[in-house]
Amino acid sequence: MAYVAVTGGREAIEKASELNHYYRLKESEEGLELGSIRKQMRLLIDKVMGEAGLYAPEYAALALKQGEGDPAEAVFLLRAYRSTLARNHVSRVTDTSSMRIIRRISSSFRDLPGGQVLGPTYDYTHRLLNFNLRSEGAEDIRAFMDRFAPAEGGPKLTEEPAFRKVADLLRDQGLMPPMKATLDTEPFDVTRRKVILPASRSARLQMLARGETGTMTALAYSSMRGYGSVHPTIGELRVGYAEVSIADPYGAGDPDDSLYLGEMLVTEVETINSFKQNEATGEVHFVMGYGLVTGQNELKAIAMAILERSLDTEGTAPAQDEEFVLTHIDGLESTGFVSHLKLPHYITFQSSLDRIRKAKGERERRQADTEEEKEDDEQQHEPAVGAAPGVS
Amino acid sequence: MKKFRMTRILIEGSPLLPDKLAREVLERYDVAVVKPPENSLVLTKARDSVSREPFYLTEVLVTECTVSIEGTFGYGILMGDRPELAYRLAVVDAAFNRQLPETEAWETLLLEEEQELLKRRLREQELTQATKVEFDTMEESYDRAK
Repeated sequence: MAYVAVTGGREAIEKASELNHYYRLKESEEGLELGSIRKQMRLLIDKVMGEAGLYAPEYAALALKQGEGDPAEAVFLLRAYRSTLARNHVSRVTDTSSMRIIRRISSSFRDLPGGQVLGPTYDYTHRLLNFNLRSEGAEDIRAFMDRFAPAEGGPKLTEEPAFRKVADLLRDQGLMPPMKATLDTEPFDVTRRKVILPASRSARLQMLARGETGTMTALAYSSMRGYGSVHPTIGELRVGYAEVSIADPYGAGDPDDSLYLGEMLVTEVETINSFKQNEATGEVHFVMGYGLVTGQNELKAIAMAILERSLDTEGTAPAQDEEFVLTHIDGLESTGFVSHLKLPHYITFQSSLDRIRKAKGERERRQADTEEEKEDDEQQHEPAVGAAPGVS
Repeated sequence: MKKFRMTRILIEGSPLLPDKLAREVLERYDVAVVKPPENSLVLTKARDSVSREPFYLTEVLVTECTVSIEGTFGYGILMGDRPELAYRLAVVDAAFNRQLPETEAWETLLLEEEQELLKRRLREQELTQATKVEFDTMEESYDRAK
């Protein structure tokens, strides 16, 4: 498809942009505080950061404010911003097994070491509108915090609890394949290199981790409904803070010299799928699915674990088709492509107009020819005046 | 103290500590800004539980800064857009790298701050632990009610 640039309308475009601000601000007495957006819209912030592929809560809040709460617009703004920054470092491998857990559940095992810790979740609450929030003010917030999380008083815990992974328990029982040796191969980076299918596993996982939550949920749902073959149980879902560090760029080369950069909230899911027999050893093991996303975004992490597994199964369903899944889950690409239909397509449309007019003209000409031929035929079949019947 | 531990305390602990340490240096030494605080990206790696291979999870916004004290470099980097703290981290790092006498007393302060940080983390963990559940099957629940 060829594109033709258009020009003009600068003033109107500027006014249209200002009109956005007008509709954003009219009937508002004060601007939204970024801190409030960041904290009180935390799940939306997490979704936007994950889909943008940029962990920056303050800027995700800014993008949401600027985009009037539209996640697609906010993701676009963040991706555009990240493209202006230098990338000076690659982190050390973030260790999720030692993350600071705020939620950890298993739908496969009731009794697991460390216990089922519900953490912050709406899973078991009534979905009733809380009308008290309409008048929630600073005093209410303070009163709640003082009651629920008093800042004073020594903790009863003496050390942070460790949560052993459920997959390790299954390994102990011989139900999962033994842990593979860690590999430190250089991962594929989809933000810098063109993905050629079939994609490497690291490319697949990176694309899934940046995927759009709704699209991934829909595709995972299709697999569970029968358009595919993956319908797992959740071995473990954990939400917590993982530490990010880099090798010290000015260090003396000691591999232990690293700098701490901060914590990143992540959601990790390990699913348990049907079991399969190893042809060589005859051993039977469960097959694991893996999902890891930034923020607390459990739907996406589960969907990721289903989809990555589904892409390794054979079949003709969309969720089993690597090209279908990987090329449609990126929110910026899909919203961008659908959205571009709103932009001037005058030349494309002019060409369609030319073609339809030509087709119409040809049809009319053909019709006229047919009618003419019909008239000629009729005239030829009319008996000539004075001629004998049957003689033309 | 390893730099990982020190930077963890300075970043996660009270902002008053890096402020105090940096001030001690700035009052007594000439600190040159080699690279002012600026935002950049760190690409983060995570490990896939299935293949045990690493993959790139996301990019993270960071602020980094480089300073120098009489030719000895100091480097500060942390997540987020936090130019002041990046600068203070760089100053503290330069002081340690140059082994300034002021740094000898710092380890105690850092260890105290680490204890405060641990307390805050444990208080938060207690809130999480309060949501621990034991699920019974309905059958077990009925048996218990009998």
